[in-house]
Amino acid sequence: MLKHDVIIVGAGLAGLRACVELRKRGVDAVIVSKVYPTRSHSGAAQGGVNAAFDENDSWESHFFDTVKGSDYIGDQDAIEILTSEAPGNILELQKMGVVFNRNDKGGIAQRPFGGQSFPRSCYYADAVGHMMLHGLFDNVLKYNTKILYEYFVTSLVVDNGKISGVVAYDIREGRFHGIAAKSVLFATGGYGQVYSSNTNALINTGDGMSVAIRADVPLMDMEFVQFHPTTLKSTGILVTEGARGEGAYLLNSLGVRFMSKYAPKAMELAPRDVVARAEQTEINEGRGIDGAILLDVRHLGKEKIMEKLPQIMQLSIDFEGVNPIYEPIPIRPGVHYSMGGIKTDNNGRTTVEGFYSAGESACVSVHGANRLGGNSLLDTIVFGRRAGIDMAEYIKNVDFGKFDESAVRRDEEIFENIKKSAGKERHGLLKAELQEDMRKNVGVFREESLMKKAIEKIEELKERAKNIGVDDKSHLFNTDIVEAFEFKNILLIAEIIARGAIMRQESRGAHYRNDFPERDDDKWLKHTIAKLNASGGIDFDFSPVTITKFKPQPRTY
Amino acid sequence: MEFTVKSYRFNPEIDEKPYYKEYVLNDFPGMTVLNALMKVKAEIDGTLSFRRSCRSAICGSCAMKINGITKLACKTQVSAEIEKFGVIKVDPLGNMPIIRDLIVDQEVFFDKIKEIKPYLLGKTDHIDDDFKALKEGEKIKQPVYYKTEFQNLTGNNDTPNCILCECCYSECGGVVANSKYLGPAALAKLYRYSEDPRDNDKNGSRLVNGSKSAGMFDCVHCQACEEFCPKGISPVKVIVRMHEKAIKNSITFSKGAKHIIGIARSIQETGRLDEIKVAVDSVGISGILNDLPVAIGAGLKGKMPPLRLKLIKDMEDIRVAFKDLNLEEKHD
Repeated sequence: MLKHDVIIVGAGLAGLRACVELRKRGVDAVIVSKVYPTRSHSGAAQGGVNAAFDENDSWESHFFDTVKGSDYIGDQDAIEILTSEAPGNILELQKMGVVFNRNDKGGIAQRPFGGQSFPRSCYYADAVGHMMLHGLFDNVLKYNTKILYEYFVTSLVVDNGKISGVVAYDIREGRFHGIAAKSVLFATGGYGQVYSSNTNALINTGDGMSVAIRADVPLMDMEFVQFHPTTLKSTGILVTEGARGEGAYLLNSLGVRFMSKYAPKAMELAPRDVVARAEQTEINEGRGIDGAILLDVRHLGKEKIMEKLPQIMQLSIDFEGVNPIYEPIPIRPGVHYSMGGIKTDNNGRTTVEGFYSAGESACVSVHGANRLGGNSLLDTIVFGRRAGIDMAEYIKNVDFGKFDESAVRRDEEIFENIKKSAGKERHGLLKAELQEDMRKNVGVFREESLMKKAIEKIEELKERAKNIGVDDKSHLFNTDIVEAFEFKNILLIAEIIARGAIMRQESRGAHYRNDFPERDDDKWLKHTIAKLNASGGIDFDFSPVTITKFKPQPRTY
Repeated sequence: MEFTVKSYRFNPEIDEKPYYKEYVLNDFPGMTVLNALMKVKAEIDGTLSFRRSCRSAICGSCAMKINGITKLACKTQVSAEIEKFGVIKVDPLGNMPIIRDLIVDQEVFFDKIKEIKPYLLGKTDHIDDDFKALKEGEKIKQPVYYKTEFQNLTGNNDTPNCILCECCYSECGGVVANSKYLGPAALAKLYRYSEDPRDNDKNGSRLVNGSKSAGMFDCVHCQACEEFCPKGISPVKVIVRMHEKAIKNSITFSKGAKHIIGIARSIQETGRLDEIKVAVDSVGISGILNDLPVAIGAGLKGKMPPLRLKLIKDMEDIRVAFKDLNLEEKHD
């Protein structure tokens, strides 16, 4: 059995950031990731990472914008940490080698982003996630970190409320391993693949959240699913909010900048929930084009597009057949980000001692009901760093827990049983059915009758999932069996989202109910906590929102 | 439109030898080769194995040979391939061992990235750093770096945009010639850090290490890395820039650097390429003796270069050109 002081599961920004803190303190930390670290989805982040640097800006303003953006359900103590530590964290990254575009004064260049009252998104053209991911990964290499890549984590091993390690499947060799540790971090990202038409990588199947809740670790606020307003019509590939930050217009089929109706002050730079709903309303009321809306950057001019938005120019050409220098880009809202996740405190700690989470897989909560653009990369580095430091302290005073090796055999059996099954259901097709149903019935506009249909579908798929068979029976790099397991993960996440969304009878941030169109602070200013019960069903509970400085107000832009 | 995917298949656990398997599919508008492979896997044959992640040309997972040309499957349109080739034939990347189907073993590639020390050198890792959480009303002061300091790192096609997809490595003629050669991606990364104004590389160790055997002077200038890069980066261009930089900084211990200097000297002195002298300059007399059988073989076939070269007519122009280049003192 493998044994390390710390296991970091997931090698996107949060995991790598934590890893750097641990490794520079000399901690024996190993990275376990189902893909090679640079394949992680953090690399697809385009537009920016927020921090108040300008002398006319302040972190307090960033603090307020984020609270308001969250529709007042973000925890203000956590948001205060996020925003007051933001500039320091960006400078740390810069010291580590990350490159940001510069302004004329020699500082970091910043662009406007949605829901922010000041241009405070730092960027590297429109590939800042890529720059940060590779920059941090290079530092992880510097500390000669052991990386178990193409290892898929299937279970947490917990002993008496204390973490003792994980069970992981070595995809290349087709073998299960127990890995013992004093402390484990899940930085496993989101679950965009629960929906069709999402901006997420194919690997984003909510694995960490599923594995955590199966180990009795609660998930929080899972009904809040972010729809990004600008994703390419045909593929759902992301077009950065930075495009609107640089001045792009949103146009309907009449050529009208319709945002004047929905957010007269902020216009295209209203927060994502507001813009996504506005677009969907235009489309639903017949002012879309082929189910899409137009994003127009032509007036920015070729030079600015090439300098500031080169990646989205190329993506539009390659994936939509449209050159944005000459034509507007057809876009529509698509699933982008999970505000909810594994419930943690401000240092990434969960309810299981020694078990941490950070980044998109975690819910601190700094994003509440709606994340502001440029705050997710910030979340990964601020809370990844904090988790890393806290873990380094934590392991000093603890021993390895008892590792129950039957957990390894149990997961092995699950895989073997799927392989042996004569079942005729194909997980690839079940996944497509689930994704399409979630898009239709638990989407931008929600109502009870539709969401009940989604639950019916999920129940049906749970039954059919018992008859999943796989074509691939071999051991060597069997991706068929991994995908079958991933399907079980997204199916569980889908159910938690749908049931939570039915329960929350109000509209707040990204969660909009046609049948309950108002925010209801009296009843619903509280976090949703989801847990699995003994029969595999989902139980919900609630926890209070931390409000320190800003009392809830009506939210208009 | 109905079309055929013809995929390289090999699972050493089961198959005795590699083979191709064909799958017939219907396309949809905008369908990419990755979409096609995923459709095969989901609907027809779950055993077809390939890597994939972002599907938007930024993670670098799905590089493979498509109709013989190394590309990212996610950014290659089915319709364009069918128009040109009538089929989607897919093969694994070259220059790396095949694990299974379209999946290659990347370990050596990533080891080479590690080898070039892909991080800022100097004291940057002290724990008690000056990290600061701001108090109420407090602002942070940031260090000043001007745009020009990062001018080789912030362009659209500059090396930090590399996604480590291995397209260049798969096609690299240098790796074909010498499997130990670092390859274009690692050298592009070396360049990226050597151009960073924050890099504290006091004694030019990057270029020294990069000049060692199987390093940047083993580039064969075939230009494949530039041609196959899906992000429009040209590793060969920056490799040549590093050659210049190394020589200008008197890092000339390598055969490659000596070879370049020898050629320059020969042209400077005679206006011609004195192959024998260049060979002596590059590998020394002992090196020449090692290569003697080759030289004799060449001589017997009438391929012996002349022992003494005549100066060309326009030597004065050459001298002027070299004077402008101002290389003389740098050579010694």
